[in-house]
Amino acid sequence: MITAEQKPIEEIREMIGPYKRVLVVGCGSCVAECAAGGEKETGMLASALRMAAKMEGREVLIEEITLDRQCVKDFVIQLDEVIDQYDAVLSLGCGAGVQAVAEMYPELPIIPALNTEFLGETRDQGLWVENCVGCGDCMLYFFGGICPLARCSKQLLNGPCGGSMDGRCEINPDLPCAWQLIIDRLERFDALDRLERIYPPKAWSKKQGRGPRKIIREDQQRVEV
Amino acid sequence: MTDKRQFTLALFYCQNIPESSLPERQALEEAYGPSLKLFPIPCTGRLEPLHLLRALEEFADAAYVIACPGGACRYFEGNLRARKRVGVAGDLISAIGLERERVGLVANEDGDPKPLATLAREVMDRVALLEPSPVLNKKDRQKGDPP
Amino acid sequence: MNRLREVLKHGEFAVTAECGPPKGADGEAVIKKAALLRGKVDAVNVTDNQTAIVRMSSLGACTLLKSEGLDPVLQVVVRDRNRIALQSDILGASALGIVNVLCLSGDHQSFGNQPDAVGVFDLDSIQFLQVVKAMRDEGVILGGEPLTKAPDLFIGAAANPFGDPFSFRVVRLAKKIAAGADFVQTQCIYNLERFEQWMDMARDRGLTERVHILGGVTPLKSAGMAKTMKNKVAGMDVPDSLIRRMESVPPKKQGEEGIKICVQTIQRLKEMPGVHGVHIMAIEWEEKVGEIVERAGLMPRPW
Repeated sequence: MITAEQKPIEEIREMIGPYKRVLVVGCGSCVAECAAGGEKETGMLASALRMAAKMEGREVLIEEITLDRQCVKDFVIQLDEVIDQYDAVLSLGCGAGVQAVAEMYPELPIIPALNTEFLGETRDQGLWVENCVGCGDCMLYFFGGICPLARCSKQLLNGPCGGSMDGRCEINPDLPCAWQLIIDRLERFDALDRLERIYPPKAWSKKQGRGPRKIIREDQQRVEV
Repeated sequence: MTDKRQFTLALFYCQNIPESSLPERQALEEAYGPSLKLFPIPCTGRLEPLHLLRALEEFADAAYVIACPGGACRYFEGNLRARKRVGVAGDLISAIGLERERVGLVANEDGDPKPLATLAREVMDRVALLEPSPVLNKKDRQKGDPP
Repeated sequence: MNRLREVLKHGEFAVTAECGPPKGADGEAVIKKAALLRGKVDAVNVTDNQTAIVRMSSLGACTLLKSEGLDPVLQVVVRDRNRIALQSDILGASALGIVNVLCLSGDHQSFGNQPDAVGVFDLDSIQFLQVVKAMRDEGVILGGEPLTKAPDLFIGAAANPFGDPFSFRVVRLAKKIAAGADFVQTQCIYNLERFEQWMDMARDRGLTERVHILGGVTPLKSAGMAKTMKNKVAGMDVPDSLIRRMESVPPKKQGEEGIKICVQTIQRLKEMPGVHGVHIMAIEWEEKVGEIVERAGLMPRPW
């Protein structure tokens, strides 16, 4: 899932400042899972913004709606019915969602309420951790299901570095050394020999360097009769 | 509090608090009139920060929660969750310039749990020092029953 | 003639030292350090923005050292440069007459004075070793395209016998050797027992015959320094007994004690099979290197 956190409310208020009729749009997917932009959070933010406006004596219309997803055109299009009533949208989608909505309604300012962060897992209730960088060439097989690009601070493919101590990363004692984790994991199913080989330089072009990435699947495209 | 000053407390309380059944609630509402609005919930674990925010937005100068004592929640950790959520509501309102004390949670005493009437009085005394909320205008205060 | 390579080739105990470039454009600072080390060591490592603190480039400082008659060891970290820049710098260094190169990961950028910098890490240190070896031995860059002239290089890597996971350290050393390391300089040694254990494991794997290991040493200036190294520096093992030894001596005499410990460590290293030299990292204390080399019985140098 994609994780995000809400921007400080002062920043949000400054961005929506010039607008008189704001639609606050939440998203029921990833950002709901990380409690940043789901229906509850959207309701809370809208309520707080209304209260703040009232305290300043400002007349502003602030209403909210939550979509299942903001990153899929077929869901965003549901806003067609109501969008004309507003002069700005405050989106609690991730960066992808904000842009998808902006793409759909290019004349309307679409303002992000969240700071999108990383691809990760819900490790525990209230704890989300980064574990994938979207490199486009997954090597998790070799490393026992632990990604050294996402979880080693230096993205070493032939780690660990000299700073690994007591299984902790040199940059932060709260961070486990990913290579310690990989070694421990591979040891469990007797595959430590996978680390004897030298992993060659990564083809980073699969991740960046050819512009924003795209996937096209003709078998998935709409059929024009 | 003078008669002229209007201050409304929204009180969300766990239905397992002693002496909090319907007749007792009605008696309290009659005694305090517009100053107190009571909302029973099956467990404070069901409370969402949004309930407190909406209360403050619509009609309440303060929104509090009365919970069962720690460790005595019928559903185990409902009251502990409620405390965290009250904290979230407090963070959000203080970020927009409202006093954090407009929300809060009071837990009943372990061993010698008090009835709702006593706890309600305690909370009202606690919020007595707060000014009427800058969010509510005359129109809000003249409204009928809140949503 | 590359003194370090020759000394090791002839089975003599090698001596290298370290020099940190200044935080400014003052070449004079480098030349002053060169003067302290001339004649005392076979080669001088120049660090590459160590601790991710911006300093004069290693390449720049190495060139100055070379002009002062010393043999530099160009340290190159993969933290700041992508594969294009790394290979390019190697060619540039070689054209300037630099032969010794040390391929390193580098301290993480969050430690230094530019914590918002992107950490490049396009290659890791082992991949970098492979690339450099192919440049020298096959005359090609990564991908196989031929160079107009292959660089002549003596390739080094760093090793930390004290980092975790301990058992894996020797596998990592083996990988560095397979990748192309001719020599290895270790993290500074205070825990000789643990170092000996690591040497035993390396010897068991036949690694000591395939690479020249130089044991790292750093003279302690004070008990305070010992404690800082123990607690604040990643990958360091400073036994409590050593700290107590430093503390048992009055502050004015602690520097002398530190040098004594350093010399004793070198003497132990001289006797250890598989250890082919010492790497003296007297950070901001370069003036003591000559004395240490002398007292360890390593003067005069054989060239």
